[in-house]
Amino acid sequence: MNDEAVMVFRDVVKVYPLPAGDVTALDGVSFQVNRGEFISVMGPSGSGKSTLLNMMGCLDMPTSGDIWISGTRIKDMSDTELTSLRRDRIGFIFQYFNLFPLLNIIENVTFPMMLKTGKGVDPERGKEVLRAVQLDDKLFTHTPTELSGGQQQRVAVARALINNPDILLCDEPTGNLDSKTGAGIMDLMTDLHRKGTTIIMVTHDPHIAEYSQRTIQIADGRIVS
Amino acid sequence: MIFWEIAKRNLRIHLLRSFLAMLGIVIGVVAISTMGILGNSMVLSVSDSLRTVGDSVIVTPHAGSGSHGFGGGGSSSLTITEQEFQQIKRVSAPNTAIPVLQTSERMKLGVGSDDIVGIVYGLNPDDVPALLKLQEGDYNRGNSGCLVGATFAKDNNVKVGSRISMGKDGEKGTLRVTGIIEERGMAFDVSTDSAVVVTQDWFNTIYDRNDYDQIVVKVKNLDEIADVKIAIEKQMNKRDTIVDVMDTRKVMESIFEAFSSITLFVSAIGGISMIVAGVSILNIMMMSVTERIKEIGIMRSIGAQRREVMSMFLYEAVILGVVGSVIGGLLSFLGGYAISSMILQTTKYLFVPSTMIHIVYGMAFGIIVCLICGIYPAWRAANLNPIDALRHE
Repeated sequence: MNDEAVMVFRDVVKVYPLPAGDVTALDGVSFQVNRGEFISVMGPSGSGKSTLLNMMGCLDMPTSGDIWISGTRIKDMSDTELTSLRRDRIGFIFQYFNLFPLLNIIENVTFPMMLKTGKGVDPERGKEVLRAVQLDDKLFTHTPTELSGGQQQRVAVARALINNPDILLCDEPTGNLDSKTGAGIMDLMTDLHRKGTTIIMVTHDPHIAEYSQRTIQIADGRIVS
Repeated sequence: MIFWEIAKRNLRIHLLRSFLAMLGIVIGVVAISTMGILGNSMVLSVSDSLRTVGDSVIVTPHAGSGSHGFGGGGSSSLTITEQEFQQIKRVSAPNTAIPVLQTSERMKLGVGSDDIVGIVYGLNPDDVPALLKLQEGDYNRGNSGCLVGATFAKDNNVKVGSRISMGKDGEKGTLRVTGIIEERGMAFDVSTDSAVVVTQDWFNTIYDRNDYDQIVVKVKNLDEIADVKIAIEKQMNKRDTIVDVMDTRKVMESIFEAFSSITLFVSAIGGISMIVAGVSILNIMMMSVTERIKEIGIMRSIGAQRREVMSMFLYEAVILGVVGSVIGGLLSFLGGYAISSMILQTTKYLFVPSTMIHIVYGMAFGIIVCLICGIYPAWRAANLNPIDALRHE
């Protein structure tokens, strides 16, 4: 593993034991993501994309094989350590935005920062990141339900960026947006990538995948290209 | 800090649900505290009524013995002889032994008024100050005067200086009221509230008596009360049981123990309502967790630790518990005030620490029940699998 690698998968196998028989979701997956890369992961339904995403996000553990994230081998880490790793090193962007309806925009954006520092809201840092994702200042004190889908996804991107993560993990980031708004979000991603952010994006949309530098194709739990 | 804020906002957004959960706690706290307040107030009330006789050993002729006395030659009636009194006096020393005579008598309180029947006590004037306190007038020294109880005075409009004709048509003479005795309430020795107290000499002369109905031993050091009782029993009941000896403090302790048990029992019944409230909290918290599974999944995936998720739900339980308990505490105070006024006719026992502590007990129990009932839902939320929680719709 070189210094540039922010994520390394080596012979990762994931088997789900089910009453009807074991299901192999990932079958010997190996790849590396270097700092500053913009990668998309594509594949049909049931190919193992979600399992791969969960592994990349330290939400699930491989049955065998090894995963390193930001130089840390995640095998044998405790739940507390994995949670801290997610908080400090990984930014998550979901298809359905997944903002907290009880919190306003600034509070939503700074939520991971509050988890990290144990302190209250830092409005200045929140505003700084929200401006970076080109969200109108007037919306900062609104609640998520008062925002459009595109605006909510920008807030979600800002939340993912607040702790300066090593990797931005995106799960169908435009899947719930119209094409124009989706294009706006992808422009934002491209801009973030240009500024040095490492992005891994799971998508089934080839047009969206075109924004990335490289695509990992997955089928039946194996990387096919 | 943010989790505290989320907990508050979640309760506020589900205001009706939070209110109903809290209502259960309020009712539970009120039930426990009010019962405790009432029970303790009653104990204090009885204690106050009996306080004046809590330092006495009462010696009465043994019930069931037709005749007694030394050598089998005593009086056939149930009385204590002068000789027996002297013996009791000697073994009780240095405590004061007070002989008491008692009868009932017809009396008239003024010209034209109807005859009434009242209790008459005969006491040595030297002993009276040790036994009775006056609320008005002076102690009676001579045979032409008497004291009356507070209720007697009130009911019959008797004042210091009033005259009472004793016996039918005043045949036993007329007595002038020199003082009114302070209210004593229930008593084991002499119940003077509705009685007339005359001198022993007058009593002996009028009723031709030279024995006593009971002996009251006023014990100076309360720690010795049991010893005095034993000494009298040992001395008097050597061969046959000729006197019954009652330690009033022991009786009072038994009464208080009984009251405490009753208070505990009724508070425990109140506690059942608190447990019902706890189940309601548990139910509502479980509902809250189920509704927010996805939110919990998001929190966990972006870096919230299990303990932080747990704290969020525990904060909700604490808020419900504290707010419900404080409201319950205030209502308990008002309820206790109202019940004391109605049942005991006084609220003076409400403002004493041993009564007020029942409000604290009720509130503490409310908060603890909420916390305990919040633990399982919070634990469940904290231990949800983030992947499953994220997929939850």
